[in-house]
Amino acid sequence: MIMSNPDRKLQKMVIDGVEIDYTPGETIYQIADRSGKHIPTLCNDPRLEPFGGCRLCVVEVDGSSNPVASCTTKATPGMVVRTNTDCLEEYRRVLLELLVSENREIDVDTLRGYASQEFAELVDRYDARSGRFVGVRSGRSRTDDDNPFILRDYDLCISCYRCVRVCAEREGDYAISVMNRGFRTQITTEFEGLLADSACTFCGQCIQTCPTGALADRKAISAAELQGAVEKTRTVCPYCGVGCSVDILTKGDTIVGVHPAMDGPANLGALCVKGQFAFDFVQHQDRLSAPLVRGEDGELHETDWDTALDRAAAGFSDVVANHGRHSVYAVASGRAPNEAAYILQKFMRAGWGTNHIDNCSRA
Amino acid sequence: MAVATDRELLERWRSEPAPLLPLLHAFHERDGFVTEDALRAISRGLRTPLADLFGTVTFYHHLAREPGGAGAARVCTGLICRLNGAVELLERMRAEGAKAMPCSGGCDDPVHVLVGDDVLVGTAAGTLERRPALLPPLNPGDSRECVFSHIRTDDRARIDVYEDTGGYEALKNAVRDLTPQQVIEIIAASGLNGRGGAGFHTGTKWKLVAEAPGEPKTIVCNADEGEPGCFKDRVVMDYDPHAVIEGMALAAYATGATRGFIYLRYEYPRALVILENAIAEARQAGYLGESVLGTGSRFEIYVRRGAGAYICGEEGALLNSLEGRHPFPRNRPPFPVTRGYENKPTVVNNVETLAAAAHIVRNGADWYQSLGIGHHAGTKIVSLSGDIQRPGNYEVPLGFPLRTLLDDWAGGARPRRAIQAVTMAGLSGGFLVGSHLDITLDEPSLRSRGLFLGAGGIMVFDDSRDMIEMAHAAMEFFVAESCGKCFPCRIGTQRLEERLAGRAGPSDLGPWLDEVNDIGRTMKAISACGLGTAAPLISESLVKYFPEQVERHVRRSRDETATLKR
Ligand SMILES: Cc1cc2nc3c(=O)[nH]c(=O)nc-3n(C[C@H](O)[C@H](O)[C@H](O)COP(=O)(O)O)c2cc1C
Ligand code: SF4
Ligand code: SF4
Ligand code: SF4
Ligand code: FES
Repeated sequence: MIMSNPDRKLQKMVIDGVEIDYTPGETIYQIADRSGKHIPTLCNDPRLEPFGGCRLCVVEVDGSSNPVASCTTKATPGMVVRTNTDCLEEYRRVLLELLVSENREIDVDTLRGYASQEFAELVDRYDARSGRFVGVRSGRSRTDDDNPFILRDYDLCISCYRCVRVCAEREGDYAISVMNRGFRTQITTEFEGLLADSACTFCGQCIQTCPTGALADRKAISAAELQGAVEKTRTVCPYCGVGCSVDILTKGDTIVGVHPAMDGPANLGALCVKGQFAFDFVQHQDRLSAPLVRGEDGELHETDWDTALDRAAAGFSDVVANHGRHSVYAVASGRAPNEAAYILQKFMRAGWGTNHIDNCSRA
Repeated sequence: MAVATDRELLERWRSEPAPLLPLLHAFHERDGFVTEDALRAISRGLRTPLADLFGTVTFYHHLAREPGGAGAARVCTGLICRLNGAVELLERMRAEGAKAMPCSGGCDDPVHVLVGDDVLVGTAAGTLERRPALLPPLNPGDSRECVFSHIRTDDRARIDVYEDTGGYEALKNAVRDLTPQQVIEIIAASGLNGRGGAGFHTGTKWKLVAEAPGEPKTIVCNADEGEPGCFKDRVVMDYDPHAVIEGMALAAYATGATRGFIYLRYEYPRALVILENAIAEARQAGYLGESVLGTGSRFEIYVRRGAGAYICGEEGALLNSLEGRHPFPRNRPPFPVTRGYENKPTVVNNVETLAAAAHIVRNGADWYQSLGIGHHAGTKIVSLSGDIQRPGNYEVPLGFPLRTLLDDWAGGARPRRAIQAVTMAGLSGGFLVGSHLDITLDEPSLRSRGLFLGAGGIMVFDDSRDMIEMAHAAMEFFVAESCGKCFPCRIGTQRLEERLAGRAGPSDLGPWLDEVNDIGRTMKAISACGLGTAAPLISESLVKYFPEQVERHVRRSRDETATLKR
């Protein structure tokens, strides 16, 4: 007799009075989330192993005396779950009031990072800026860490450890960890050093998962004062062959930052230091804005496009005429648009009949 | 003797299971503190990321990170030691670098002091004396004992003496005459429940591990005994170590486990030596080793010394600590019975549970059942300390009246004093007062009142004590021991402590109570582990039973702040 594998069969459970199908192995949070429930969370990043630290995601389950964390609890057949009773909402509000009490209060600029508004939004949703639970603060910002990329403003930190977990689970760098315990917990590198002296590759993923802005994109926030709304444009990072999806952040005509696309099929929110931070060449003052050709004096002189292109064409033709079509070679810049890279290989292959074409950043 | 090199230390431990803690201790002792170079060497040797290793080292109380720290004296400043002059003693010893440590399980003979691996008893006047650990006081009733039945025999820690009173017969009989299933059935039928705090049915736990797929299986003896006011496991290990080993070997036979760990709290250096001797004796005699009693089945026991962290008594944190990970509790389910040490089926049992199991297999389930009063099965060791005439460990039949224990067995309050309050479950059950002391000691009757016996620590405070001060000291403990994994406990313990100290919080009673109750209710309901759910029982019971003291405290704090501002 062929038995169906019970693990694969859809099962049923009840969330807030509605029966829902689920696949065994799914957590209550995952099921609730795809059913449109807005269970609050702070330690949760769907790309990471469930951690169960913030306890905001607690739900009531029939037969369980205390609420359970929905992010770590797997659904079981017939489970009856309530996600938003008055009692749960009260616990969540008290928790958020406690969190507000441990930190310096500031308006967190959206340029700090992709997830930087999560905490502030929840505090607003639960009206938790009550001023209760006053006491000492927990954070210790690392103002001494002057690396150019990551602001370590731990005065805002709520110890959700998403940064530590993303660094270990997604980036595999294990550059940061948790030191001390309890209220004295801090995020640290080995021996409390600077990021630049640690195993950090400045991929920026910790910034982008941080729900408070405690880790912030230093380059982006330098544009905080710039006028205008932040707009996002989805594109693909040009730096290498992986093809990470990114959202370019602009204010007016100025690129102010980059967010990794959490739904990017190749990267799921990951980037490397170049994709994340190396965007400022676009508006850099050293960037060429007119064609230059080298004169008899050996110096570069500004000229018009026709002159420049004629010079280049003559050069290429000369070499090919004397040495054959495989004597020319082109390297596309990783900083040029993808369209330009495409055109350049067309130029080499169709134009000169050679496959001598490469890109400067082959990761 | 030449000092061991990094390489020698790494070679010594790298091939053993659970090598991180012993390696850290080895470097710590060799260098006098944990040096950066030591961490780099261990990181390379164990292939553990350096940042993780560094973070984990900072978690443990006793791993010093500055020169000479390893040798510094440690003075217990737990509640009971404080009542006996610990703070004064510490002040006297500070000049020589002494440090405070949380309750270190010496409450029957305070003040508990560690100097290196020496265990001493100190006084407020600054005297330090080396004397043997106290045996359990003779049981004044004629109630029959289980775990303590032979513990007062001289030299009981020696294997021949242990064998003379029937020791290891349970194991021999089991291996010869019983199937593993039958051993489990005996334990199950005896009604033995875990004695480490949670009270899970031991037979069921063993059965789950026996049936769980996955090899190798592991038996972990939880000897972390971190609960303030608990010192019962210590006396069992100091005076009857073979009972613990026999219990573990029986658990291994019943479940098919091939390796065992004793996770021993740092503060019990005497037990460390005694256990290691006893394990060597048991190996020699064939009760442990490659082929236990010639059966061809392997069972080895490794002692792993903790490094100072109450949370490492919580089984998930304990397993993480053994595995060399950051000792946060694990999310449950899955439970250790299916995914324990290295994700394989694991029994985690308390010292007392395992020692009792050896007696039960020897004497039978009915015998154990009959030790309790009425339908309650068996016995429980209670560690009694504080303002009571005869503190110490008492093995009481379950169902025993608390009053009889306090007044008849332990002699009641000191002269001209009356008992004001007692704690339950060490500090994890909050305070109990007045007519509430008319209870019997057994889980059903306690749970019906929202109480629990836990690991069985009861501290007594007489009417000379300021209960706000006691509650504050208790909350300081939880602040220091909260692991920081979950929000409600990490912040809640801190805020409760500040309010009990009068350092922060509303200056009017109503809002003060609102804050304390809101924090407590939230922590109790949604903290991730038993530390966070238990800690607020302190403030909750304080507010409930000592309303006048609380009101005075809030008023006094307000007046003091007002004076400060002026
Ligand atoms: C904060 C905390 C501390 C604990 N400390 C200990 C301990 O020191 N010793 C112990 O045996 N169990 C301790 N436990 C209980 C263990 O998690 C576990 O339930 C127990 O070791 C199981 O053994 P048992 O069934 O024999 O009691 C602690 C639990 C919590 C939540
Ligand atoms: S930038 Fe990347 S490598 Fe550096 S700490 Fe953050 S996540 Fe880790
Ligand atoms: S820095 Fe941000 S991500 Fe890291 S623990 Fe703090 S709040 Fe969480
Ligand atoms: S309740 Fe406290 S000790 Fe337990 S996981 Fe949470 S923070 Fe850690
Ligand atoms: S999302 Fe579940 S505990 Fe944080």
